[in-house]
Amino acid sequence: MNAVQSFLAMGGYAAYVWPAYAVFFIVLIADTIAPRLRRQRLLRELRARFARQSARQPHVGNGSSPTPPAAIDGQ
Amino acid sequence: MSRATLTTACAAMLRRDLTLAWRRRGDIAMPVLYALIVTMLFPFALGPEDTLLQRIAGGVVLVTVLLAMLLALDAMFASDIEDGSLEQLVLAPQPLALMLGMKILAHWVTIALPLIVISPLMAALLHLPASVIPVLLLALLLATPLLSLLGAVLVALTVGTRRSGMLLALMLLPLCVPAVIFAAGAVAAAQQGLPWLAPISWLAAALVLAVVLAPLACAAALRIALDS
Amino acid sequence: MANWVPLWLHRLSSPPTFYRFAGMLQPWAMTLALLLGAIALYGGLVLAPADYQQGDAYRIIFIHVPSAWMSMFIYAVMGVASFIALVWRIKLAEVVAMESAPIGAAFTFITLVTGSLWGKPMWGTWWTWDARLTSELVLLFLFLGVIGLYRAFEDRRQGARAAAFLAIIGIINVPIVHFSVNWWNTLHQGSTVNVFGKSTMSWDMLWPLLTMTLATKFYYAASLFRRARTDLLSLEGGKDWVRQIAQDEDAR
Repeated sequence: MNAVQSFLAMGGYAAYVWPAYAVFFIVLIADTIAPRLRRQRLLRELRARFARQSARQPHVGNGSSPTPPAAIDGQ
Repeated sequence: MSRATLTTACAAMLRRDLTLAWRRRGDIAMPVLYALIVTMLFPFALGPEDTLLQRIAGGVVLVTVLLAMLLALDAMFASDIEDGSLEQLVLAPQPLALMLGMKILAHWVTIALPLIVISPLMAALLHLPASVIPVLLLALLLATPLLSLLGAVLVALTVGTRRSGMLLALMLLPLCVPAVIFAAGAVAAAQQGLPWLAPISWLAAALVLAVVLAPLACAAALRIALDS
Repeated sequence: MANWVPLWLHRLSSPPTFYRFAGMLQPWAMTLALLLGAIALYGGLVLAPADYQQGDAYRIIFIHVPSAWMSMFIYAVMGVASFIALVWRIKLAEVVAMESAPIGAAFTFITLVTGSLWGKPMWGTWWTWDARLTSELVLLFLFLGVIGLYRAFEDRRQGARAAAFLAIIGIINVPIVHFSVNWWNTLHQGSTVNVFGKSTMSWDMLWPLLTMTLATKFYYAASLFRRARTDLLSLEGGKDWVRQIAQDEDAR
């Protein structure tokens, strides 16, 4: 118990060391989670758009679809 | 293209921009008024002690001029974008960098020159010793074109975006740190009776580099921003 | 003979290939980052002895210095990718440059905050206008400027090219700022802070530092892969391979 306490005390510098490590982890975790959420939102939107397109027409949509038909610009 | 037609084109561009600016004289007065008001606020905020005001005078005048220029930067290409003449300029046979250089020169004459003219008044309001004022003017003469040139590159980059004054400030401020340091450093050195030639020379060197490179960068940035 | 290298790079730069490639590597990079990070933390916080001058406060070094290195490394990567994006107009290079910017900003922010948390007990101040600190702050503004410019455009690819141009201007700017602040400090006789002392670190302190540096490199790779994949999906929104992926993920 004593060892843990002295470890947490950081020789009296606990008030500086632990917040520094906390900032490090909080920022990096936020940086990990943000793109994950963005990806899920994006996939949901894409699926909704594809569903709309295939509901309107059996083949890839034209006219009112927000993106150009897939076949033209290759890749 | 012969040299004569190029010179004519430059002169025509300069005359056009200056004429346009002269027709809207009220707009030229705005940055000057802004700078005077900001300078006036400092004694009210800090108290009218001579020694304190003297110490900060050089820096305050420089930063105020910088902010006033930043305020007017947004409008550098705005009217040309609206009426489509900027696209014409990009398509014109004359070298784009040279034409943009003329536009930057016109902008500097209409915005920065009036600020430089009233800067002795601003300095006097803050009790800057008269002996330092020539150095202040010299520093401003070198630093303001530098800011105009740097600003022009960034304005060209933001041409394709929605109006974005704050973004321009965010992009310009890191770039203008060296200019502010050397200009204010020269004034501070002169005030302390130290040699002030070194920072002025650095500013001059930076200005020479910017005069050569910035119009080219500005042209490249404009091509990126208008290309779609 | 070495013909396969450009060929392979050319293949890799096609979005669907890179999407699969990044998806394959990303979990490995993240695992390595977590593993090395855990080892480095154990070595740095538990095994390494307290510094005879700074006591335990020096332990901030194990995150501060790797973050500072990463902030510069990521800016360099962003600059190179920006250059490639502008010269050869490769979509993948644009994605790499633009998705590096938020990660770089995160590391720069960490560097500034941990630096001032370290500075308070050691020099008695949260902040000093030292050349190194000022350059780091300017770096943060450059990252934010790149992100802001990128977001300001309606057209994503056009925004990426404009922001790439700004990133290249910034690369020229950072050494100039460093030099000018150094000059400024000699004029004002500012407090010259020597952060690292005469740097002869003992091995007990050095190996956690180097391990953490490696861990942050892997973290950057993992984060960049994850962001680039998302970005490619949204850039290539209308294409068949994206449709395939969207449907596959739905089925799962």
